[in-house]
Amino acid sequence: MASVSFRKLGKSYGALQIVKNIDLQIADKEFVVLVGPSGCGKSTTLRMLAGLEPISSGEVVIGDRVVNDLAPRERDIAMVFQDYALYPHKTVYENMAFSLKVRGVSVEETRSRIAEAAQMLGITQLLDRRPSQLSGGQRQRVAMGRAIVRRPKVFLFDEPLSNLDAKLRGEVRTEIKKLHQQIGTTIIYVTHDQVEAMTLADRIVILRGGDIEQVGTPDEVYNQPASVFVGGFVGSPAMNFTKGRVEGQRVVLTPTDSLPLEGARHSGALADGRELVVGIRPEHFVPAVADVPRLDGQVLVVEPLGSDTLVHFRLGDATLTARMPPDVRPTPGQQMSFGVDPSKIHLFDAATERAIV
Amino acid sequence: MTMTGSTKSSRTIDGNVTPWWVRYFDPSDRALAVLLLAPAAVLLAMIIVYPVCRLIYTSFFNLSLTSGLPAEFVGFENFQFMLEDPVFWQTTGNTVLITFVTVPGALVVGLALALMANLPFRRQWPVRLSLLIPWALPLSFAGLIFAWFFHSEYGVVNDVLGRFGVEPIIWFNSPQWAMAAICLTIIWKTSSFMALIILAGLQTIPRSLYEAADVDGAGRIRQFFEITLPLLKPSIVVALIFRTITALQTFDIPYMMTNGGPGTSTATLAMYIHQNTVSFLDLGYGSALAVVMFALSMCVTAVYLRMIRTKG
Repeated sequence: MASVSFRKLGKSYGALQIVKNIDLQIADKEFVVLVGPSGCGKSTTLRMLAGLEPISSGEVVIGDRVVNDLAPRERDIAMVFQDYALYPHKTVYENMAFSLKVRGVSVEETRSRIAEAAQMLGITQLLDRRPSQLSGGQRQRVAMGRAIVRRPKVFLFDEPLSNLDAKLRGEVRTEIKKLHQQIGTTIIYVTHDQVEAMTLADRIVILRGGDIEQVGTPDEVYNQPASVFVGGFVGSPAMNFTKGRVEGQRVVLTPTDSLPLEGARHSGALADGRELVVGIRPEHFVPAVADVPRLDGQVLVVEPLGSDTLVHFRLGDATLTARMPPDVRPTPGQQMSFGVDPSKIHLFDAATERAIV
Repeated sequence: MTMTGSTKSSRTIDGNVTPWWVRYFDPSDRALAVLLLAPAAVLLAMIIVYPVCRLIYTSFFNLSLTSGLPAEFVGFENFQFMLEDPVFWQTTGNTVLITFVTVPGALVVGLALALMANLPFRRQWPVRLSLLIPWALPLSFAGLIFAWFFHSEYGVVNDVLGRFGVEPIIWFNSPQWAMAAICLTIIWKTSSFMALIILAGLQTIPRSLYEAADVDGAGRIRQFFEITLPLLKPSIVVALIFRTITALQTFDIPYMMTNGGPGTSTATLAMYIHQNTVSFLDLGYGSALAVVMFALSMCVTAVYLRMIRTKG
């Protein structure tokens, strides 16, 4: 087991910089998820760590060793690929045994490690089958088994759940979390799915355009997003944004709607006239009751979900979404008041789109 | 819905009568499938089944166009004569030798070429083109070119060997050297075809398998034997089927390079068939020889197909 560090890690293809001098420390036994939209450089970063992609600048350190010039096999890592990359002509047992055979591990030791991993993953009955005879979920488990038997210092997962359907994704996600709790090895996991990131990670690294946008625990990135991008990326449905201007102790959203600034997450006074982006999560709207600041909007669409109701409404030029209790069923077109908890309002600078703290 | 019956017209459930021609041309019927397959079946029958049947039929006759006599049924006489014909045995032996040497030779060279062509060159087209050129050349043209390459006085091969202190070889005066020159030429000519089929197979192997093997700790050689070769098996078997069948029919290259000489030491079965049917106009014996070659090709194809089925 080992810690991992990226020191000014960069990757360029000609003039195009894919990863921009990333600095990151990952502690031993930590489960870190790199998350971001397509093209943000998360997979490239993981592949540089694995040794599958040459490093353009900076250093990758595993444990206390700079591994830039080491081949993948010398880095003591195991990787689970997006398409599983199981050897189609080998049985499940042979797939799992391959890396041990290459490293000269004895047959008895190989057998015992495979039996242990197979039992942990519930694939004992599949050991004689070929990958083509397995379902997607089973292949995913075999790919994890192949990584586990290696007993590496670091596990790398490259979008391992992308090819599974929603139900299976949830199941395998739980298994990955259980696996980490059982074996306690450092895991670096790449995904574009913020739900996976939130549910699995000890810490989440949000990447955008090859740069780190924010690093933090799931609670931190949810409750204290560092930017409009993070606020919009984390959480489902996404955070609502609308423009506002500071006037006195309030932020004015429309000529008729404003919210108090006391209680909002920021320190110090905000100058009158400062342009802001105001972020409110759909789940932080509450039914309008007395003493609660409110926004008045015209209901556009109502989506009953059973457990709650999503209400899309117009506020000035913006369309916002509110997650309301299931018994709230407004009619499209009607005017409705939505209560807002001031402590849950996020304020971002309109020019930089960074959080005002 | 129609009801089946032996009468020319039949009655539907609601009592209406369906004319016989509607039943036969009912698109939902098996007749449609037969109709759609018929052109291909007729074509196959005309260009494959009939010639093969006719060949087998002719092989039982004494049919020489030079004798002026009508065709005479002789049963297995042509085949009996074949067993006692030393030229048949020599040309068959030469054909088998060429097959045994050039098929594995072309496979090895073709595999190497395919692996090379699969490397991530910045420009792929010159590599692919250089693979295609030997394949695109007509066989007889390749034979002619290589006859000059192996020319004892003006040939490039002797010139190169001479630079390494090797005495000039009179390639086409010795049966062994002549056969070696023919085999080398056939390998050069056919390895690009093998390479193209294997290259297509190589490109179906996902890159992630090699990356997984990299992470698993396998070096390049191990990856070749543990991943590349097993996954190439289907492509290799297909290439071998085609190449073996064409090797058994070898004609053009030895015909252009040595015309079977010295003597008949480099003549192949196909050349002997050609000689009997075209030069001697002995269609009966020539057909019997062709039947043997056809049977040989069928046996080889059956063996390979069995291999594919076993692997599948």
